[in-house]
Amino acid sequence: MSKVGLIIKREYFSRVRKKSFIVVTVLVPLLIAFLAFLAMWFSLQNNKQFKVLVVDPSNLCEEKLFVGNISDPPAEFYFYTGDLLTEDFKTQPQFEEYDIMVGIGPNVISNKKIGAFYREKPSLTTEKYIRNRLELRLEEYFALDKGLSLSEYREIRQEFDFSMLSLDSGQADTSAAQVVGLGFSIFIFMFIMIYSGQVMRGVIEEKTSRVVEILVSSIKPSQLMMGKIIGVGLVGLTQFLIWIGLIAITLVMLRLFVFADVFDPSNWAQLNQMQNAGALSGEMAQVPKSSELIMLIYNGIPWLSLLFLFICYFIGGYVLYGSLFAMIGSAVDSETDTQQVMMPVMLPLFFSYIISISIISNPGGPAAIWFSQIPLSSPIIMLQRVASNTVTLGEVILSLSLLVLACAFAIWAAAKIYRVGILMYGKKASWKEIIKWMKF
Amino acid sequence: MSLLTVENISKQYAGHVALDDISISTKKGEIFGLLGPNGAGKTSLIRIINQITGPDSGRVLLEGKQITRADISKIGYLPEERGLYKKMKVKEQVLYFAQLKGLDKTTAKRKIDEWFEKFEITSWYDKKVEELSKGMAQKIQFIITVLHDPELLILDEPFSGFDPINAQLIRNEIMELKAKGTSILLSTHNMNSVEEICDSIALINKSKLVLNGELKSVKEQFKSNTYAVQFKGNMFSFGNALFAGFSLEKSEQIDENRAIAHVKLLKDHNLNDLLKTVMPAVEIEGINEVLPTMNDIFIQAVQGKEGGENE
Repeated sequence: MSKVGLIIKREYFSRVRKKSFIVVTVLVPLLIAFLAFLAMWFSLQNNKQFKVLVVDPSNLCEEKLFVGNISDPPAEFYFYTGDLLTEDFKTQPQFEEYDIMVGIGPNVISNKKIGAFYREKPSLTTEKYIRNRLELRLEEYFALDKGLSLSEYREIRQEFDFSMLSLDSGQADTSAAQVVGLGFSIFIFMFIMIYSGQVMRGVIEEKTSRVVEILVSSIKPSQLMMGKIIGVGLVGLTQFLIWIGLIAITLVMLRLFVFADVFDPSNWAQLNQMQNAGALSGEMAQVPKSSELIMLIYNGIPWLSLLFLFICYFIGGYVLYGSLFAMIGSAVDSETDTQQVMMPVMLPLFFSYIISISIISNPGGPAAIWFSQIPLSSPIIMLQRVASNTVTLGEVILSLSLLVLACAFAIWAAAKIYRVGILMYGKKASWKEIIKWMKF
Repeated sequence: MSLLTVENISKQYAGHVALDDISISTKKGEIFGLLGPNGAGKTSLIRIINQITGPDSGRVLLEGKQITRADISKIGYLPEERGLYKKMKVKEQVLYFAQLKGLDKTTAKRKIDEWFEKFEITSWYDKKVEELSKGMAQKIQFIITVLHDPELLILDEPFSGFDPINAQLIRNEIMELKAKGTSILLSTHNMNSVEEICDSIALINKSKLVLNGELKSVKEQFKSNTYAVQFKGNMFSFGNALFAGFSLEKSEQIDENRAIAHVKLLKDHNLNDLLKTVMPAVEIEGINEVLPTMNDIFIQAVQGKEGGENE
C-alpha cells in the first residue's frame, strides 16, 4: 500500500471505529425520525374538538353551517339566537361546556366584524377552520342577499388550479423544491464545517503531540496533508451515504405503509370528485395539498442528480475548505489559538450560508447566479438552484470546473504553508507570517 | 568508507542564518556526536539530512550518492521533540510507522514481536499510548526508529526522559547496532555519553562548524600538556621542587601523606624534566596525562568562539 494510502486508512478507520461516529451516524437519523413521529403524535393528541357557540341574535346563519364530509373536524358548532354578553358566557354554568363564543352582530354585512372569545386558546388550524366555516356561511348569506343562487355562488368560490411551470423543464418551480434545496445547502454547509474542523483538529493534534516529527521523516508533508484530507473526507461521505440509505429506507417504508392512500389512484378520483363538486375549498383543500407535497418528495425532486451533485460539491467544497483548515491547523500551537486565524476562512463559509437563505425566494436571481459560480460559495449555493430547476447544465459544469481549479490552488498553497507550519513550535503565527512561509 | 556525507550545507530562514557552510562525514559503523548549544543549528541540519527541509546550497550524500526520497527507508530518525498518537494502541501504532517506513505487514509484525520480546514489553501491545508512562513511550519510539533496520540512525537527545536503568538499556542497544555496522548520528547535550560512546564528533556553534574529527584527535587538540602525578610525601616539598618551567594547576590530598597534583608543563619542558625535578622531593607512585573532558572542550570551544567574536 502506498504511504498516502496508509495515512488515509489510519485517518479513516481511527474515526469510523470511534463510538461517537457510530452513535452519531445511527442515532441522528433515528432521532430525526423519532422527533418527526413525536411531532405527528402530539399533533394528533392536540386534536381536541372545540365546542363553538355561535351567538347569532339576527339568525343570519339560520342555525345552519356547512362542515363538509370530514370525519374528525377540529370544531363543532352550536347556535344561540338570543343576546349573550361575554360576561354571562364566562360565568353562567349553562355555557360552561362551550370553549369559544363567536358573536355575529346584525351589522356584520356592513361592518364586516366578527368577535370571538375563547376560554382555552385554539390551535391555529382550529381557528382557521372556525373562521373559514363561518365566513363561508356568511358569504352564502351575502350571495343570496345579492340575488345569487347558492349553486352560482359555489361555482364562483371554486378555486383555480394555478401552476407556475419552468419553460425549460416543464416542471413546477415549487417552493417546496426550494426548501429541499435549502436543506441540501445547510447539509453541505454542516458537512464542510464538521469535517474541515476535524482536519484542523487532526493537524493540531499531530503537531502538539509531536507525532508529526516522526511522520515527516517517513512521508512528505504534502502527502501527509492530502492523506489526512482524503481520509477524513471519506469518513464524511460514509456518514452521508449511511444517512441517505436510512432516509431512503424510511421514505420507501412510509410510501408503502403510511402514504399508501395517496398513491392509490382510486383515492385520487375520489378527491377530484370532491374538488369538482366544490365540496372542498379553503382549508379543506389541505388534504390534496399535503398529498402534493408527498408527490413532490417522491416524484418532483430530481433526487438522483441532486445526490450526484451533492457528492461532487461536497468533495469540492470540503477539499477547498479542508486544505485551508489544514493550513490553519499547521500554523497554530493549540486549538485555542485558532480563533483569529480562522476568521478569514470562516467568513466566506458563513456568508455563503446566509446567501443561501436569502436567495430562497429568488434562486434564479443575480446573487444566486454569481455565488453559485464563485468557488468559496458555489458548493453551498448551487444545489439550491439545481433543486429549483433554475440552472443549466453549462452553468453546473462551469461552476464545478472553477471549484476544481480553486481546490488545486488551495491544496498547493496549503501544502507550502503546512510543511513549514507543522514544525514551527511556540509561535502564534499571524497571517503575515503564514504568507511569508510560502516562500520558504 | 563514509556512509553519510554532508557537503557545504547552508540554510537561511527569513533573515537568520541557521547553517553556514557545514561539512561533516560519518563512517560506517561509527557513532558520530553532533554537538552544539541550543539553537546552534543541529536540528536544522538533521532535518536537511532527513529531507524534511531542503538546503539553500550544498548537498547530502548517502553512500556517495545524492540522497533521494527512496533513501528514507535507510534512515531511522528519533526526533528530540517526539510523540505518539495518544489514542492509538501500541502495536497498531508501531505497525503503522513501520509500514510508513516501507516494511510490509508480515515483516513488520515479525520484527515488532522480536523487539517487544527483547524489551519484555509484549504485554503493552493492546495498551493505548496515553496509558503508558513517558519512559515507556520513549521505548516504543526507540523501537519505531530502529525497527526497519536503518543503515543510518539519527538520534536526537535519545537519553532524555529515561531513568538511568532504561538509559543504560538504550545505550546497550545503540552499541549493539553499532557492532552490526549501523552508523549513528547522535545529537546530545549529555557530554558523558558523548565521551563514552562517540567515535567522532562535530561541534556546531552559531550555525558554524567549530570542531570536527575523531574524538581522540579532538581531545589531543585540546590537551594542555598537563599531567597528574600521584606521590607519597609532602605536598609542600612537591610544590617547592617545581620551578618556573612548571605550573601547579591543582592538587588533591588522598590520605595523610599521599596526594595527586596536576602539573602543567610550560615552554619546552617535557615529562622527563618534570620527573627529574620532583623525584628528589617525593616518592612517585603513578603518572598519567590529563586529557580534557568533552565538557571542558565544549565550553572552551563555544566560549572561545564567542570571545573571539567580541574582539
